[in-house]
Amino acid sequence: MRHPATRTIAAISIAIVLLLLAPFFLDILQTRMLIEIAYFSLFAVSYNFLFGYGGLLSFGHAAFFGLGAYTTAILMKTIGGMPLLLAMAAGGIVAALGGVIIGFFCVRRKGAYFALLTLAFNQFLWAMAWKWRALTGGDDGIGDIVPDQPINLGIVKLDLYELEPMYYLVIVVVLVFLGAGWYLTKSPFGNSIKAIKGNDERAAFLGYNVTRSKLLIFTFSAFYAGMAGSLFAIFQDFVATSAIDLAMSTQVIFMAFLGGTGSYLGPILGSAIFVYFTDWISGLTDRWEFILGVLFVILVLFFREGFIGLIPAKLRSIFAAGEGT
Amino acid sequence: MAILEVRDLYKDFSGLEVLFGVNLTVDPGERHAVIGPNGAGKSTVFNLITGKYKPSKGKILFKDQDITGFPPHKIARMGLTRSFQVTNIFRNMTVFENVRNAVLSRNMFRYNVLSYLSRMKGITRETEDILAQIDLLERKTELAGELAHGHQRALEIGLTMAMAPELILLDEPTAGMSAEETRSTVRLIDRITKGKTLVIVEHDMDVVFTIADRITVLYYGQILASGVPEEIRDDQKVKDAYLGEEENE
Repeated sequence: MRHPATRTIAAISIAIVLLLLAPFFLDILQTRMLIEIAYFSLFAVSYNFLFGYGGLLSFGHAAFFGLGAYTTAILMKTIGGMPLLLAMAAGGIVAALGGVIIGFFCVRRKGAYFALLTLAFNQFLWAMAWKWRALTGGDDGIGDIVPDQPINLGIVKLDLYELEPMYYLVIVVVLVFLGAGWYLTKSPFGNSIKAIKGNDERAAFLGYNVTRSKLLIFTFSAFYAGMAGSLFAIFQDFVATSAIDLAMSTQVIFMAFLGGTGSYLGPILGSAIFVYFTDWISGLTDRWEFILGVLFVILVLFFREGFIGLIPAKLRSIFAAGEGT
Repeated sequence: MAILEVRDLYKDFSGLEVLFGVNLTVDPGERHAVIGPNGAGKSTVFNLITGKYKPSKGKILFKDQDITGFPPHKIARMGLTRSFQVTNIFRNMTVFENVRNAVLSRNMFRYNVLSYLSRMKGITRETEDILAQIDLLERKTELAGELAHGHQRALEIGLTMAMAPELILLDEPTAGMSAEETRSTVRLIDRITKGKTLVIVEHDMDVVFTIADRITVLYYGQILASGVPEEIRDDQKVKDAYLGEEENE
């Protein structure tokens, strides 16, 4: 066991070092894309806690991405001198609270009922964002979120109008959260979720509180989605209803499936492919969404494992030693 | 003092009455078999005791506490666990992971996010102990869904036992088994439930008379007789209703 684990640690360390050095050898456009990939990875991984690990197919995950994005944006706009990191944390927390409330109604349902309820709540929040102009700016959205002054983190000052400080803020937050999330999947609670997905009746008769466990993972997933949304708001320096609409809910499903929902890394890979692919294809044709749709159909029909399934198992195992144990 | 007391239990499924006033008492250390023809309501009694369904009327007491209408997970945590007639395991998990699910739950690691599961030595050891008891240690890395039927049945019992229950309910543990498999399963049950309180629903009379020291006969939703095996064997009502039928087949 020792050998593969050492290799995994080495591989992940190299990946992290490369990410931290990336701004030095990437141009502005590519750095921006990497930032997008980073927060969408967090979003897609949050989705996979629900679907891949919990077996809960949600059609309304943008509700939490949007809650996080709007909370951060509104706090930064309305409270003078609001510390940015606090506004980000609040984004995650408000999304988690939304997760508790929405989850309370959804997790008792299964399959299509669960999916439709999440969709309904997403639509409800979207309508709020659309109509409650005083708070959200409606279709004009909220801009100018990033503080004018560099933010002081004690050891460093980050001027978020520069690309590099923005890059490091996003990358570090995403890496910390991805690391913690990965650990969760390896913990007893992560195992409880897998067991409940595998056979909820048996799990209940072994003492697992199925409803409470599902509510917890739903809330945790909402929290992660909210953090991703918060990063999105800061990087874009703008939030509008597109952060909370159904297209965003569809996009996260697509990213997760594209990479593969059977592993932790799948959705991360999926986000990277999605961002690069849409960037490339939208440069070629106006009808790129159509092509995306066709791709999704092919994916679901023929590549159930997602793109990660195309990577040779040996190579995959370097990044994921101990997956499934 | 009884460990389990079922008082005047009624159950109907939207008008279809399945149980009419069932009483059942199980003393600590007892090995109690519930027998009866198909459709007598044996599994329903189990489903009511373990919280799968709520009774229409009546009371269930476990360790003198009223557990009527409790959800399954609460009852399981109190020390009352069951096995299922139709194998009910985690098919997409390995044999090891199956038993570990039960061991984790029993040790209250259901919500822990701080421990790293594969480094929890105590949990691993306890899981392997149970796997050894049910003779599945060599198959621990196999997927539970790919095991042979007999091994799945052993795993089913293993999951139940891994909760270290004070009261064990086994629902037809030998269902669908060959004579040879049945014999080895009976030996297994005998071995791993020694000294523990057991209620078993069973069809196979040889199994019942080997394992049980008390038998309750359920007949169309009512208790026909209850007593030690010799009494049941000689009971004329039971013979007419049930045992006779078997012999005539």
